[in-house]
This record gives sequence, structure tokens and C-alpha cells, in this order.
Amino acid sequence: MAIYSFYIFDRHTECIYSRTWLPPPAPPSQSSADGPHIPPPQSQTLSAKSSSDNAKLIFGTVFSLRNMVRKLGGDDDAFISFRTAQYKLHYYETASNLRLVMLTDTSTLSMRNVLHQIYINLWVEYVVKNPLSPVEHKGGEGVRNEMFEMGLDQFVRGLM
Amino acid sequence: MTIFALIIINKAGGLIYHRTFHEGGLQKISTNDYLVLAGTFHGVHAITARLNPLGNHNTNRLSSSSSAGIRPDPPSGLEVLESENFRMQCFTTMTGIKFLLFSDTTQTNVDIIMRRVYEMYTDYVMKNPFYQLEMPVRCDLFDRKLLSYIREMNSR
Repeated sequence: MAIYSFYIFDRHTECIYSRTWLPPPAPPSQSSADGPHIPPPQSQTLSAKSSSDNAKLIFGTVFSLRNMVRKLGGDDDAFISFRTAQYKLHYYETASNLRLVMLTDTSTLSMRNVLHQIYINLWVEYVVKNPLSPVEHKGGEGVRNEMFEMGLDQFVRGLM
Repeated sequence: MTIFALIIINKAGGLIYHRTFHEGGLQKISTNDYLVLAGTFHGVHAITARLNPLGNHNTNRLSSSSSAGIRPDPPSGLEVLESENFRMQCFTTMTGIKFLLFSDTTQTNVDIIMRRVYEMYTDYVMKNPFYQLEMPVRCDLFDRKLLSYIREMNSR
């Protein structure tokens, strides 16, 4: 199992946290589930420029799919995940419209409980209960604290 | 195990066919909403094909085509979508037509059903001399064969 990236979007549709665990530039060996051809990782400048664009594209995708799912499945339905030939995207939305998105390889099973755990054990503990954290996280303020980042990194690396 | 509905979207994102096979599976929405849905999905599908976290397809394709004769698989867009109440499988043909098959979450062998539906499409729609490409599918034979096949699947 490989986890590629993780995003948090707030209720104002802004990306307030993003983190990637991409394989190192050397030809990765652990991503054998992706097929025989492993695309070369993009250069550093390109990825830095496109990471905020990527977050916007991901938000647009999950927003549209969530609306589509609710239209077809009824108001109580919830969008869980989608899969392409290259990756799988997992989605979890809290009651306060906080959206957690995780991109993994295609063979991963449902990560909904993992996202739920991240929300309960990391977000609520280290961001919501932090007295110094603002109510709104403009530009990721308050989310990028050491405890949350460390906890998330440990938790995700424990899963891989 | 139930198949709820089938939607066919042409390569421009227009809805050319939609049929519901099971009452109560999906919410009832108007044809207009189906048209909007088809267009939205077409756009989302294009985005999902470009979101590959492992790298950029354009640089990938350029480098490999110049160095060796092997061509990597083209990026595929959304293939399976799961929600709490249903599961949607998307099949894109070589010509860009998308077949969306909605089923309940426990449905198995959707690939086989999709293949059979595509076969029926080629047999009864594409071989119909009166069918115009990219236009809504109004082929009686396709309707009947599809309905009887899905009914057989649903009654298993």
C-alpha cells in the first residue's frame, strides 16, 4: 500500500493543509502495483508550481462528485471514493463541512476510517483544542503546527 | 445485487442515452438534470485523468516516445466511483464514448455486464443504418435487448 498525498479543505473551499509522501526521485521499487511502467517524477520546480493547482483541481473534482452523488443517491448519501487506473482518491466530510482527501495507490481498500481517525485523533486534538489556533485557518494558519504534522506523518508512515 | 441505471455520454459530453432499470435505486431526476449530470461528469472525468500524483503525463509521454518504441498506457480517468448507496462503473471506449453503469454496492462482475452492454451497443446501435453518430440513441432493438438482459441479471 502506498499513500501519495493528503489534503484538507475548509468550509470556505480553501485548501488549508496539503502533504505528499511521493516516492524519492530514484526509481521507486515499492510501487509495483502501478503497472510495469513507472513515470519519472517531475522536476522540483514544476511540482512546486503545480501543487496549489493540483489542490484546486482535486477540490473541484470532489465537490462535483459529491454533488452528483447527493443528487442521485439522495441527501443522506455520501461520496466515499473513486478509482482510476493510476490512483485512488478517498474522501471524508465532517458535519462542519471540513473535507479530508487522500490519494493512494489503486489496490488500497477503503480509507474512510483512516480519514475519520485523522480527524478525531489529530485534527480535533491538536488543531481544534489548541487555544492558540484561530477559528478560521486562512492560508493554513494554525494547522501547520508541530504536533499535528508529526502525528500525521507518523500515522501515515505506520500505515504504509 | 441490482443494476440501477445506464447512461451513455458521447465524446463531446452530451447525454445520448439514459435508462433506469430499478425503481427506488437512485433518486428520480428529470431529463434536464441528467443532461447537466452528463456534462459535469464529462468535465470531472477529464480532470481526474490529469491528477496522477506520480507524475506529469505530458513529460512522461514525450520522453518515452523519443527514447524507445514503447508507449505508456494513456492516462485513464475515473473508472469506479463508490458512495454509501450505490457504485458507478465508467467504461470509456476507444472513440471516447462513456458508459456509466449504476449498481448497488454489492454488485459483482460489473466488468462482464459492461462488456455485454457495449457489445449490444455495437450490434444494435452502431449497425443500425438509421443511427446518426453522436445523436441520442433511439433504437428499439437496443432498448429491448438491453432491458431483457439487465432484467435477467437483476433477477438472479
